[in-house]
Amino acid sequence: MIQVKDVTKTYGKGESMFTALYKISVEIPTGAAAAIIGKSGSGKSTLMHVMSGLDHPSSGEILIGSKSLFGLKQRQMDAFRATEMSFIFQAFFVEANQTCFQNVMLPLEIAKVPARVRRKKVEAALKSVDLLDKIDSLASNLSGGQRQRLAIARAIVNKPKLIFADEPTGNLDSATGDLIIKLLFDLNKKLGCTLIIVTHDEDLASKCEMKIYMKDGEVKEIVGLNNKQPIVKKGSKK
Amino acid sequence: MILRDLIRRSGRSIKSAKGRTILTALAIAVGTFALTLTLAASNGATKYVNKIISENFDPAELIVTNDEAIFGQGDNSKPREYDSSITTITQAGANRQIKRISDDDIKQIKSVTNVERVRENITIALRYITRPDQKRFLGNVQAISPSLKMDVIAGSMSRDLASKTILLPEGYVSVLGFKDAEDAVGKTITLAISKPVTAQSIQQSARIVGQTPEELSKLSEDSNALEDFTVAAVLKKPESSQPGTELYMFVSQDDARRLNDITTEGTTNFRKYNFVYARINDGENAKTLATAQEDIKKLGYTSQSVKETQQFLTSIIGVLQGIVAGFGAIAIIASVFGIVNTMYISVLQRTREIGLMKALGMRKRDIGRLFRFEAAWIGFLGGVLGSLLAVGLGTVLNPWITTKLDLGAGTNLLIFKPTEIVILVVILMVVSILAGWLPSRKAAKLDPIEALRTE
Repeated sequence: MIQVKDVTKTYGKGESMFTALYKISVEIPTGAAAAIIGKSGSGKSTLMHVMSGLDHPSSGEILIGSKSLFGLKQRQMDAFRATEMSFIFQAFFVEANQTCFQNVMLPLEIAKVPARVRRKKVEAALKSVDLLDKIDSLASNLSGGQRQRLAIARAIVNKPKLIFADEPTGNLDSATGDLIIKLLFDLNKKLGCTLIIVTHDEDLASKCEMKIYMKDGEVKEIVGLNNKQPIVKKGSKK
Repeated sequence: MILRDLIRRSGRSIKSAKGRTILTALAIAVGTFALTLTLAASNGATKYVNKIISENFDPAELIVTNDEAIFGQGDNSKPREYDSSITTITQAGANRQIKRISDDDIKQIKSVTNVERVRENITIALRYITRPDQKRFLGNVQAISPSLKMDVIAGSMSRDLASKTILLPEGYVSVLGFKDAEDAVGKTITLAISKPVTAQSIQQSARIVGQTPEELSKLSEDSNALEDFTVAAVLKKPESSQPGTELYMFVSQDDARRLNDITTEGTTNFRKYNFVYARINDGENAKTLATAQEDIKKLGYTSQSVKETQQFLTSIIGVLQGIVAGFGAIAIIASVFGIVNTMYISVLQRTREIGLMKALGMRKRDIGRLFRFEAAWIGFLGGVLGSLLAVGLGTVLNPWITTKLDLGAGTNLLIFKPTEIVILVVILMVVSILAGWLPSRKAAKLDPIEALRTE
């Protein structure tokens, strides 16, 4: 379970202070597929960054399981991220001049997985996204959909408990996007990992078990699994 | 990330930017090239000097003089009082008056503890050498030195040459009409030694005023003393002699003294020597040698060891090498800025990759190391490239240099030592890592959120 407790994030000081997140409290059960939905500027990406520990909240805390994310030292946070979290981005961020194998290997290297088991893990990950035959091709030879599948393989190779996907279909045509979404949900079910998708696409969000609607830095509505969660009343924002 | 993965990843990013890497590495290679050649030349020159010295001089021997002027020391700006033992020598184009060593001095030097033997430096005034029915040739006769290395091609040689025997260089064999070297051994050759103009000879010539030119020329002939010597052995042309000593003939120290006496008898030069060689018992031991030098100094003489001569020569080499090495170092310093620039570009180009790696939990320290290794790769490539070029060129040029400078077969002026090259490359890698420090810090400090922003 991932718990967001009373998280506020502000930028700047005094007159120019900007509140990106305001008193957000959300609980996402383990293994769920959750969507954070909102227009650009609604704070959905900032929420994802805070939940993954990339960004620090101004106040409040994030609990993953029973661990407080910001109670960890930088070193522990890095290790935690290397072993239990993963990311999928809109722009894929695969290294074009490296092979698929080398791309997928990156998280294993970062997590210091012993060299002898790496190849097996990479092969398994590529197989589950149906790219095993491209293992030694350069990523630059792949199509957009294939690249995102490669990014997914990279995200799942180290069996993380938590996958963040930031607009995973944003750069793809709808047919390819649908395939990617299907793949993501299949893996979510198969691997039992928690999937958090950040999107503005209502269509994609509708396929998630849980939907967190955001507007102007606040949670407007939570639909699905966790609708008992009290919705924060619009407070007085500076 | 473990070290091996970091090194491999950094190597991969070097490979993906080949052009940029090669250009930056080339700048380092230029400096490395100069440094490698300088080191090689320094090794070769030092080895050559050491070889010549060890084959021609005895390290336990000291050169002892009565006058430090012979070593180029002392005050030459003030006039000195006349002394009959003073003679003029030419040193580096300048005439110098030096006080010489007499038999009395030799006795004194011999009294010093540990002085085992003193031999005079003798210059024999040889007019010519010849044998019956052959032409006359110029020559140079030396007293045999116990430390000189000589190869014999015919006859047998011992360090204690018998009286009235001579070692003849190969070069004289055919001109003196011998069939071959074997033929020369045991045969007699004649040395003509000039006799001095003594009070006696002046008297003689005073009595014969009014002679015909023929009779005068006969007189001049008479002023040569003719000495017969038996060829004990024929010497092979030495491979590493001091230049100009290839045609030296050798006689025993006693014969040399006798021949010199013929020339100097009755003159102020009689039994006066520019310097003498004093062999020190256990003189290979630096401490014993230094003590002996100290004792000799106390008696008022100046001495110089072979080692000091060697140090003097190698220090000249050192200065020259230092200048070239300085230019090499400047080239490397200049290339450091190239590395800094290249690394900054690399960090900028890979902003997103850095962001991704950070998001995936890569530690700041590892990101910094990744880029420092990348810099080290550039230094490594530049170092290897430069030193390989230098070794290649050196290997090709060595035979040519040896012939041009007449160093003797088997002597190379450029000697490459693998350990030196390895150390040089390691130093270059360290320098490159230092150059990559700031860019790598920039990479490590990069904010992953900023880096991953798509817009």
